[in-house]
Amino acid sequence: MKSEKAKVKTAFKNTITRRFSLLILAVCLVAPFSVAFSQTVKVEPKVVVAPLKQKTKIERKSVRRSIGTETSAEKSIAVDAKVNVSLCVREGILKINGWERNEIRAFVVGGSEVGFKVQQKNKQNDKAVWVMVTGSDPAKNKTVNSEECLSGEEIELDVPRGAAVNVKSRTSETTIQAVRRAVVKNIGGDISLNNIEQGINAATYQGDVTVENSGGAITLESANGNIVAFDIAPSEIGDIFKAKTNSGAISLQRIEHRQAEINSNSGSIKFAGEFQNGGQYNFGTQVGTISLAIPEKSSCKINALYGYGKFNSELKLAIITEDESSKAQRLVATIGGGDANVNLTTYSGAILIRKQ
Amino acid sequence: MTDKCFDIGTMQAFLDGELAAEMTETVARHVAACDECACLLAESEEESALTFSALEMELNALVPTQRLWTKINDSIAREKKSFWKPILAFLLQPQTAAFASLIFVAVLSVTLLSLKPNAPTNYVAQTGEIQQKTIQPIAKNQLSPPAQTPLLLPEEKNTETIKSVQNKAEYRAAKTAYVRPEKVLTDAKSRDTKSDALVPAVRENSGNILGEESYIKTIATLNTTVANRKDEILSPSARFAFERDLAVTDDAIARMKLEVRRNPKNEAAKQILRASYQNKIDLLNSVADKTELMASLD
Repeated sequence: MKSEKAKVKTAFKNTITRRFSLLILAVCLVAPFSVAFSQTVKVEPKVVVAPLKQKTKIERKSVRRSIGTETSAEKSIAVDAKVNVSLCVREGILKINGWERNEIRAFVVGGSEVGFKVQQKNKQNDKAVWVMVTGSDPAKNKTVNSEECLSGEEIELDVPRGAAVNVKSRTSETTIQAVRRAVVKNIGGDISLNNIEQGINAATYQGDVTVENSGGAITLESANGNIVAFDIAPSEIGDIFKAKTNSGAISLQRIEHRQAEINSNSGSIKFAGEFQNGGQYNFGTQVGTISLAIPEKSSCKINALYGYGKFNSELKLAIITEDESSKAQRLVATIGGGDANVNLTTYSGAILIRKQ
Repeated sequence: MTDKCFDIGTMQAFLDGELAAEMTETVARHVAACDECACLLAESEEESALTFSALEMELNALVPTQRLWTKINDSIAREKKSFWKPILAFLLQPQTAAFASLIFVAVLSVTLLSLKPNAPTNYVAQTGEIQQKTIQPIAKNQLSPPAQTPLLLPEEKNTETIKSVQNKAEYRAAKTAYVRPEKVLTDAKSRDTKSDALVPAVRENSGNILGEESYIKTIATLNTTVANRKDEILSPSARFAFERDLAVTDDAIARMKLEVRRNPKNEAAKQILRASYQNKIDLLNSVADKTELMASLD
């Protein structure tokens, strides 16, 4: 009987111990999760509130502080005739104008301060050859970021005619005229360039690009806007003219470059002018129309690929090869002596050649 | 006495209940009628009672039986013994279970504590860090590929760039991958102009046109880059235009591919296909460039 009691006792002990240990295990398993869950719930609103807004607030504060009570800011600096001017613009209407003086004058209305940061000087005359125009005055505010972008309702810059201008901007209508070279990149806003002598590189992701009466190597890009260029000539042999847009139209008149690459995805291309002897011209669209208005006495070799599109010419063509049987139609023909090479490629757009 | 009397053994068996039913009935009927046998049965009962009371402890203890059963069970268990049973038995022990639970809790606590820095509190800060990484401007001279690099990236390298373009190095890799097809195209063009006879020699057995794989890889890389950022980079109208242009280009690629497969000698279809690929790359790259510019202005 004693042994039986002992057995029962042992069995009871074992059962209790096992159950107790299982209970501890369960509690231990649940406890960390409940703690973590409670922490997560507490923290969650902080995620939504986002310090990014705080960052923006801080930036604005600093800008407002720098503005103060002034409504405009103006500053000038003596520079070399062939100075490089760099600036970035957060917002505002930007106008850059070339003048005869060897100095830069910056004028901002209703916006940031103006400052110059000389990056490099000419060793011979000790004049600045590379200047950054900033949205803060390093002389006044040494703590503020010296590379702060300009912002304001209107931003005007007068620079020497021989200046090369490099502009980056977020949202601005940019107009540059009468300078040696211009490089402009806009996220949004139109770009208008006039009388740029030795080259342009202009790109905007939402807006139009207009160039007139300019020369040099030209590269024009727009994601959604139109590109218009007229009276353009190379400044050196080998300068290339490039224009590219995704969904905008490209309109070109009197382009004197011997090499041109013009592309639009869904927009149309219109070219009016002469093809230079020995020139190489590439026009391409995906669905847009390629329309060439050229003199009757033009001399070029046309190599047209028009997929599902169509080809039509008002000028007399001396056909070399024509393949209309396949789904990638091809036509090779000459107009006049065939001096310039003109490649026209479209997937389903039309190719039209008209008399000018 | 009516019948023959039964011997002591039968009486004992009767008492023990070991007789057959018919025999038990006969014995019972006989004992009821026979005084001698009744006395003998009474004696036997007394003896049995005495014996059982004397041996009660021994009989109830069942020690030999228990031992026997234990031995039998052990031998059976030994025959059926598996690898997991002792482990399972060990784990089911209360002490082991308690110890295991303590270890588990400790590991869980350590894991939770180590995960805490990535908890939602710091999530935004982390996002900020990522943005800081993306704002690194990339110099133009960094974009051009080294002179001696092969035209096609190894498979592993490309998949790495596909994974993420959040940091500068990866973005540069994506850009490098973008630049390559232009080189391929240039090569293709120069070969086309120099000698058309070279083109079939370079053509792959699978029917792919020259450099098509390179285009596809580049597009895949850019696609990943653009897919991650297009929602925040493009405005609704720009997004619409982008998607439309992409659809048009994809349609052109699909149709021209089909045409090239039907007629591998159709050079016109190949050229349109190349142009369509390049258009698609330009399209995707415009978004990637915009991302870069926005980052440089932040």
